[in-house]
Amino acid sequence: MTAIERLKKRRRHGQSSLKVLSASGQLGYGIPADSLRRGLDWNPDFIGCDMGSIDPGPAYLGSGQMATSPQLSKRDLRLVLLGARQIDVPLLLGTAGTAGARPHLDQTLAMVREIAAEEGLSFRLASIASDISADAVLQAKREGRLQPLGSGLSASEEEISASSHIVGQMGTEAFIRALDTGADVVIAGRACDTAIFTAIPQMLGYDLGLTMQMAKIIECTSICCVPGGRDPMMAVLGEADFELESTNPERRATPVSVAAHALYEQSDPDIVHEPEGTLLLNRALYEPIDDRRLRVSGGVWDPADRFTVKIEGARRVGERMVLLAATADPGFIAQLDTIVPAVEGIVRTMVEHDFLLQVRRYGAGALVTPKPSQAAPSEIFLLAEIIAERRETAKSAISVFKQYLLHHGFPGRLCTGGNLAFPFTPPELDGGTAWQFSLYHRMDVDALEPYFPVYVQDL
Amino acid sequence: MKLKDLSRVVRSKNAGPLTLSVDILFDSEANYLTACASNGLSLSALARLLDRPERDIRIIRDPRARAIKVVLPRAVVAGGVGDVDVYGAQHHAAFLDIEV
Repeated sequence: MTAIERLKKRRRHGQSSLKVLSASGQLGYGIPADSLRRGLDWNPDFIGCDMGSIDPGPAYLGSGQMATSPQLSKRDLRLVLLGARQIDVPLLLGTAGTAGARPHLDQTLAMVREIAAEEGLSFRLASIASDISADAVLQAKREGRLQPLGSGLSASEEEISASSHIVGQMGTEAFIRALDTGADVVIAGRACDTAIFTAIPQMLGYDLGLTMQMAKIIECTSICCVPGGRDPMMAVLGEADFELESTNPERRATPVSVAAHALYEQSDPDIVHEPEGTLLLNRALYEPIDDRRLRVSGGVWDPADRFTVKIEGARRVGERMVLLAATADPGFIAQLDTIVPAVEGIVRTMVEHDFLLQVRRYGAGALVTPKPSQAAPSEIFLLAEIIAERRETAKSAISVFKQYLLHHGFPGRLCTGGNLAFPFTPPELDGGTAWQFSLYHRMDVDALEPYFPVYVQDL
Repeated sequence: MKLKDLSRVVRSKNAGPLTLSVDILFDSEANYLTACASNGLSLSALARLLDRPERDIRIIRDPRARAIKVVLPRAVVAGGVGDVDVYGAQHHAAFLDIEV
């Protein structure tokens, strides 16, 4: 009998609560092993982990590379795979390999297969792809089914076509289809972090509002506690409420800490949009059980009358070179507003092709505009960035910029030996390819299933 | 009093790559209510502070979490050309010296 069949059987025989272990909110950055062990000793009914996010920026989705190191990713995967197989419960993992596109999913699946071979594990592995073709997005745009989720992205036909990867966030139904194959382990591409934790409860008939509310809190593991941390989080889902407890005895789930977490990374704390509906939290109730365990209830599920998929895309901007330099010269700092454009003009006469130059002045307003009353900084750090279509152009431009900025003359100059202090040589570093988001949109669809195909393999 | 002396947490973070979310959390009901009533955290004051039109800024007060949330569109899409803060984690600084 597979792990999911056993859960269904126990439910039919009257089991009225479900023990859920959220093992990691960012798999691959190091799961605290002692805490995970305590979570496994508690005998959860299933284990979920999240492995990605859009937060680290467009480079990972664009390039297909992972943000986490292969070594740490494999360590964490080994911990959760061994743990889940030892107690023979389903393991669900969402947003494989940071961004969840095909290359990320493939790299993660390769690690899972390697670990299974190394550890002599045998199980049914289901994977769910989440890649969406540019053609499908273009068609949605032409049919008026593509809506922006904020301002700043034009989603022109050119932008869409130039995207190197486009993914859609899968919801609960994709995980249910994967589990229906009898899979013990589900590795998903780009997924809503909640879906990892809602699929099994939904299959077993638990209340959708409560389930979604629980999922939204535990997907970040113990970050909802005081003090917050990365230790796995335990939840007991019942028929009318759920209970929360961290696997780390030092972390307390309190009414205020959990309510505050509901705000985190959300634009509205009372309304959470998911592909299959909306979670309403305005009647959420948080009751302490003791000083570190919390009982939560009140989440209400409002199913959508039309399916939507949140889609994310990234495209190449060009090739990036950066220059690291500092200055302590008061005259140079005071005249930077005229010096930088002057030097840029010189570079443009030397370098044949077009490029983009950006100089960030740390210590002098890079992040926060200085107040007029503030004294001039005694030293500042300059991060100059060139982006050009071709790497050769970027390299030429950054080197010319460096040299002319170093020796640029300005009124009252005393530092004729050079305007800049370089921390090391070469101070120009290769920043690789520059990427930017091309899509962060909502796409209305008639059915979710065609976008998130399931593949099964017996290991 | 300044906001940094009245609050327990002032944090900023992306809510997706197009939106910035600033959460101000308080230790006590009294401090939360003081901040809610202060002019420094009014829509017009925040619009001036952040140099944004009022229609771009949304203020949400959550008594359960003893929190005030400020939501606004990012000036540059996260990680795009010219961005200085991919995670949006340092936009809290502008709020610290607000008089409350």
